[in-house]
Amino acid sequence: MDKPSPTIALTTEDWPLTTDLGATASDWLALLKPRVLTLVVFTGAIGLIIAPVKMNPVLALTAILCITIAAGAAGAINMWYDRDIDALMRRTANRPIPAGRIAPNSALAYGVFLAGFSVILMALATNLAAAAILAISIGFYVFVYTIWLKRRTPQNIVIGGAAGAFPAVIGWAAATGSVNLLPILLFLIAFFWTPPHFWSLSLYASGDYERAGVPMLPVVRGARYTRWNIFGYTLILVASTLLPWALGLMGWIYGLSALGLGSAFIYYALRVLTDKQDATGKSLTKDAPAKAAFKYSILYLFILFGACAVDRLI
Amino acid sequence: MIQGQKWTPEMRAEFNRRRRGRNYLLLAALGGFCILIYAIACVKLHEYGQMW
Repeated sequence: MDKPSPTIALTTEDWPLTTDLGATASDWLALLKPRVLTLVVFTGAIGLIIAPVKMNPVLALTAILCITIAAGAAGAINMWYDRDIDALMRRTANRPIPAGRIAPNSALAYGVFLAGFSVILMALATNLAAAAILAISIGFYVFVYTIWLKRRTPQNIVIGGAAGAFPAVIGWAAATGSVNLLPILLFLIAFFWTPPHFWSLSLYASGDYERAGVPMLPVVRGARYTRWNIFGYTLILVASTLLPWALGLMGWIYGLSALGLGSAFIYYALRVLTDKQDATGKSLTKDAPAKAAFKYSILYLFILFGACAVDRLI
Repeated sequence: MIQGQKWTPEMRAEFNRRRRGRNYLLLAALGGFCILIYAIACVKLHEYGQMW
């Protein structure tokens, strides 16, 4: 008797090879981490606004678009690399890659293409200095933070925070073609803002990080040590925010804003430090002060950088 | 043997809806890109006195 020849059921309208319905448009947008992008767009725009050179609005909008696309591209590559740990954390398990809606290689190709596109467009629309800093910021986020530091050291977000501090510098460089003291100070402010911001989050999300094996400070050194670090970095942050005023680079509107906002941030950090805790430093109030500090930190940076623009425009 | 999967009408409709959404996103991105490049070209030419 002849053996039946192997048959392949070709995919058709009625008989596709898979039950996978494919990703939605919003899945592709979610790869860009849109919530993070709002802060990136804002700080990049502030860098442009406070620069002493007035840019053509079309080129200014293009520069902001490039910063946005670059940050999104870095986020997509980050999601590609972190897909294994994202699947283990409740907060990230439903992202398009761990949820199986977008193939990892597609996400990587998407991120790399957008990264290259944003850098080339920035160079064509503005100048090489801005494009170079943009490329460095993408490389820093992907290679230094995501691949090198994130899974190795509890100082990951301290050093990696530099990646998030670049947009204001890029905005300034797009307008002027160079970098001087003021954008460097804005870089420092965003740099020192990152630890209290992220450690406040990690205090109440440490279970997720522990499950995924990410050495965030509360996981490695405990909650009490983290609270002290939040307080310490908040003091450094507030001191750094006063520098542009003290050096005469910003006026009284910025100075008073930095003072008022900084005092409130210190208050929130103090509340995190003095939260009711057990012997190990874990919160007995469901981390209410840490949640409040995290929310305030976002508002803080928006208003502080907004005050920069107001100060410069008035 | 590679076995195909039978799709219900609901799955087919959902697949079409998602594909349409992706296509519209791509259309918007490409359209935006064309407009942007045109606008940048106009500005650059204007800056160097080669237009208007």
